Amino acid sequence: MKVKRSLCIASDLSELDRLHDAVAELGEVGDWPPDLVYQVDLVLEELIVNTMNYGYDDDASHEIEITLISDEDVFTVEIIDDGHAFNPLDDAPEPDLDSGIEDRPIGGLGIHLMRVMMDDVHYRREENKNHLTLIKRRNG
Amino acid sequence: MEIKTQRENGILIANVNGRVDSANAREFENVLSSAISDDDTCVVVDFGGLSYISSSGLRVILLVAKSLRNRNAEFALCSLSGPIGEVFKISGFDKIISIYDSQAEACAALGG
Repeated sequence: MKVKRSLCIASDLSELDRLHDAVAELGEVGDWPPDLVYQVDLVLEELIVNTMNYGYDDDASHEIEITLISDEDVFTVEIIDDGHAFNPLDDAPEPDLDSGIEDRPIGGLGIHLMRVMMDDVHYRREENKNHLTLIKRRNG
Repeated sequence: MEIKTQRENGILIANVNGRVDSANAREFENVLSSAISDDDTCVVVDFGGLSYISSSGLRVILLVAKSLRNRNAEFALCSLSGPIGEVFKISGFDKIISIYDSQAEACAALGG
């Protein structure tokens, strides 16, 4: 059974709770394993917060559209934002995972978590908006 | 998110409960940092009650770990659930921070 939830959030951290709740609700409806729901929830937060922090030049509030789709074996998240063009597959530097504690840089892990945790990621820039699709398979 | 601390055998134990995300990571940083006094030489953060942490929370853990390392204090994490342990592993934190299955193991390793 295909179940879809669409949310439009403001570019503000106070919206995160609503986002987490929507992912949790769809996880229950689709009977998804908690570990998988955690990963979808986490990656969504990482990307949204990235956009909020680095996506805009102005202080205005921007809208971010999020669609969550639970299908039989695939959990899909679509994110559309009007921030700077940013393809997380190509435009993010590789993280430093090997330095010792003194030299380990603070930050830069969000996109890495996305790359490792998601089964598929698609990006396109269309009409001055970023369209990002995250795919997590039940048996991925 | 809530942090309860106690001191046992010279070890500061901080039990973290709830969720740590980008919206409350600053609060997590403030509460955890102020719970650790300059005299603490051994610190264990127990994540047994933690249900969620994102990279914003990992950032705080790394800051705390760096600051304790700078003054030669010992630091360990314990009781990470499966998915949270996975986040630490994927982030390469398991190579720079000691992680134990239980609080008892962490305290024993830190000499308590």
